[in-house]
Amino acid sequence: MSESIDNLRRLFEEDLAAIDGMESWKAVRDKYLARESGVITTELKKLRDLPKEARPAFGQAMNQLRALVEKKLQERLDEAKAAEASTKLQRIDVTRPGFPFALGSIHPIKRLQSEIEQIFVSMGFQIFNLPEIERDYYNFEGLNMPRNHPARDAQDTFYFDDSVLLRTHCSSVQVHAMEELKPPIRAISTGKVYRRDPFDATHSPMFYQVDVIVIEEGITMGDLKGMLDVFLKRMFHSDIRMRLRPGFFPFVEPGAEVDISCIFCSGKGCPTCKQSGWVEILGAGMVHPKVLRMSGIDDSRYSGFAWGMGIDRVAILKHGVDDIRLFFENDLRFLRQF
Amino acid sequence: MKISIEWLQEYVEIRESPEKLKEDLSMIGLLVESMTKVHGTHVLEIEVTSNRPDCLSHIGMAREIAALYSRPLKWPTVQAKLSIPSDRIPYAIEIRDEELCPRYVGLVMDGIKVGTSPDWMQRRLESAGMRPLNNVVDITNYVLLEMGHPLHAFDYDVLRKGKIVVARARQGERFQTLDGMERELDGEMLMINDGEGPVAIAGVMGGMNSEISLSTTRVLIESAYFGPASIRRTSKKLGLSTEASYRFERGADWDNTVPAIARTCSLIEQLAGGKIAGSLQDIYPRKKDPVRITLRQANTKALLGADLTSEFIESTLRRLNFDLAPEGEKAWLVTCPTYRADMELEADLIEELARFYGYGNIPATLPPSKTIGIHSPVYRLENSIREIISSQGYNEAINLSFANEMDHLEFPPLQGERAAVRNPLTEDTQYMRTSLAAGLVRSAKRNFNYGQRLVRLFELGKVYHLGSDGVPFERNVLGILGTGGFTDQNWKNPSASFDFFHLKGVLSKLLQGVRVPSFEIEPAGKIPWLNPAESAVLKIGKETAGVLGSLSASLEEKYKLKQPAYLAEIDFACIEKFAFAPPSYDPLPKYPSAERDISIVVSRDLAFQTIHKGILQLGICELVRLQLIDVYEGEKIPEGKVSLTLRLTFQDREKTLTVDRVQDFIDTILSFIHKTYGVGLRSI
Repeated sequence: MSESIDNLRRLFEEDLAAIDGMESWKAVRDKYLARESGVITTELKKLRDLPKEARPAFGQAMNQLRALVEKKLQERLDEAKAAEASTKLQRIDVTRPGFPFALGSIHPIKRLQSEIEQIFVSMGFQIFNLPEIERDYYNFEGLNMPRNHPARDAQDTFYFDDSVLLRTHCSSVQVHAMEELKPPIRAISTGKVYRRDPFDATHSPMFYQVDVIVIEEGITMGDLKGMLDVFLKRMFHSDIRMRLRPGFFPFVEPGAEVDISCIFCSGKGCPTCKQSGWVEILGAGMVHPKVLRMSGIDDSRYSGFAWGMGIDRVAILKHGVDDIRLFFENDLRFLRQF
Repeated sequence: MKISIEWLQEYVEIRESPEKLKEDLSMIGLLVESMTKVHGTHVLEIEVTSNRPDCLSHIGMAREIAALYSRPLKWPTVQAKLSIPSDRIPYAIEIRDEELCPRYVGLVMDGIKVGTSPDWMQRRLESAGMRPLNNVVDITNYVLLEMGHPLHAFDYDVLRKGKIVVARARQGERFQTLDGMERELDGEMLMINDGEGPVAIAGVMGGMNSEISLSTTRVLIESAYFGPASIRRTSKKLGLSTEASYRFERGADWDNTVPAIARTCSLIEQLAGGKIAGSLQDIYPRKKDPVRITLRQANTKALLGADLTSEFIESTLRRLNFDLAPEGEKAWLVTCPTYRADMELEADLIEELARFYGYGNIPATLPPSKTIGIHSPVYRLENSIREIISSQGYNEAINLSFANEMDHLEFPPLQGERAAVRNPLTEDTQYMRTSLAAGLVRSAKRNFNYGQRLVRLFELGKVYHLGSDGVPFERNVLGILGTGGFTDQNWKNPSASFDFFHLKGVLSKLLQGVRVPSFEIEPAGKIPWLNPAESAVLKIGKETAGVLGSLSASLEEKYKLKQPAYLAEIDFACIEKFAFAPPSYDPLPKYPSAERDISIVVSRDLAFQTIHKGILQLGICELVRLQLIDVYEGEKIPEGKVSLTLRLTFQDREKTLTVDRVQDFIDTILSFIHKTYGVGLRSI
């Protein structure tokens, strides 16, 4: 009995494999499944001729066969439909460019400026937004640079009149912060500063700075070093090394020039660092007692430090820009690189 | 300051290589900028900061090196006897301004043969960057470079009264200096007179009239101390900076006057055959005391954060020629050398200690934070604007804040007077800019020159005006420029030409992005640099916040742009005032909304805003959105008319809208438009 069913299945498999097109599919379907004359119906009619005990097994086997036939035919039909549909589809060229949604850029100096602000806010600093047009007092006098002080020579200044000028550094934040806040003070100011320098590859009459001031009880030069180290590592790279050399700025004492290990050669020596392995990055120091006193801070109780850094200089170092004018000429070929 | 190593070795032994010396000097604050070879010896170019005039000489530098390496300092030999029993040449010195000249030392020599100085001296002068002239002048320059004290030699025979009078100049007096220039003096300037008239500008430059010449045989040598502030003022005022003024204005050593004249006297005897003919006169009406400062060991720790032992403190300061006397427990009264013009406070002494302790040896520490970080609200808004507008395809520009005459002619300020720089560098820095437009147009033009004709820029920066009090002030402005395309052209976007509505669109997105609750863009009156047919003002609240439009035809022509450029200039303070309105939650509707499009034909002159406001004033509160989705002008529309297609969205919060209700709204709106503007429905 089962032999004949196996035989039927084999025959069906052969017919299935031979299907070629819709007509032959229909023919196979009718051959096996037609209500009256289909092979399965015909075979089932033989049930009556079987001994009673063999009937359930045969019936069950035949029903399984019918289910199999139906399933296989449906699969064959689905495949054929899918194949037919796919011949009608046209594949898109996914390699063509996408819609040109526009994307501009943020100026590299401005990007650095906000990065710097983020770093300082995270270290508890308040950001001061200060004027570029400044009183002589905030730019010079209050920073221990009275009129006729030779240190003013290093900062050739644009004046509007005797007492109003374009700030030459953001160090004005020292005086403003000490006047407006009570210690403990942590403040920075960033922005444009101006000096009477010609506009060439290494100079600009306008550039960007960040100045920092901390006034608290018990602040030491060691604290200055510690905070500088954290800042410079976050600004540049965690491998950066720094060194302090004695330097002079009238508003600090002791004063320091700060170098970082050259970021191009990691301190091995290259043209950027003039083979020294170090590049000058900023000026710093302990706030001068006279500056504290002038701004009404008790210098026997509080001490502090300050530093100032050119943001353009950082941009030049970080991006390897070789001409400062590129920052202010707005050439799209330059701006799009950032 | 140029320092020759060969010369330096006369005063201190140097075993180190020039490279090592360079490194070591830099670490005590004497930065060696460059090293060259002149006449076979290394010459160091040292950046001497303005607080260290004592280092502006070879002996000054030798003192630092001696202290650094703990080696003895060798002094040059000098003429010990500076007076003779009876003067062959009597002379007098009179100081009439003791404040500006606390000390004046003079000496007269005769029998001098002016000629060339010996080769060794010429070589040394040249290695330090000075040009040899004749033996007498060279000797004074040599002593200046050796000991740091400026000296001057007068031809005694041209001093009309045989005396020296130190006094201020007469206002407006004219005087010819050694360089041949005629100088106008003022009443603040200190002069050296001969009893008849001026022969030198004190501490700055000698006069043509008393110059040493080949026929000079008798000289009066001056070694004086002049007050720094006065010398600096004179030098600045005259625009005349000399080796002498450079040192006096930083602070010379009043106690160096006699040693310097003694050294000069010795050299003149040796090299120019002179003899003392008028004994040394030391006029010193105001005796200056050395600076004394109390130093406490505890304060060195408090300032530096490093533990310096009292042995270190004492030995370091003594090596630097400071004198220490104990003053109680772990404290000293320190007497500073008179050449240290920078010594004033305890912090100055602590810096000396730190220099020799080594900044690198101070341990780095992190102070605990006692404050919280606070962002500037202005920067926060600026950064938001920057992010939004750059994400719309605009590149951020930064232009110099200056302007020239042409900028103001082409882009006259929309408000206020321009501020002039009193001492501009060039004509391009004559004024402060009053607008960002000029800089943006120039930047666009620069890009055109490189073949970039699609330019979208923005700038957030200051513009400057004179306030009503005549004092310049600054305000923040946002400038936008777009030309050539609102985005790149490509196969999905074959035409991307930029027009007014792209600019308006970007501006609107920006204001929405920073949550300015409402704003309007209205036709503008005359704006000098904008095209009158395409110009508008931005209103936020009731305030005029800025202008936008296309660049005027004449400027477009002038800059040879050959394509329209669109500009906006918005007052930042106005945005700031309304920005970041707190969001308020509106519950989401539960019922579906209904959309209807209507097309109406109206006169071209009727502003869309008028229709928009008219419809809103009908008070249909179910009308939640009105969009202008199409504008048509052409064949099917009468001349002078325009067809507008409006998409109206209705929404009832309480129930589902029925078709009939929506139709009622549409009828109300159409009948209003018909009645008010005399127009009707074109087709639905």
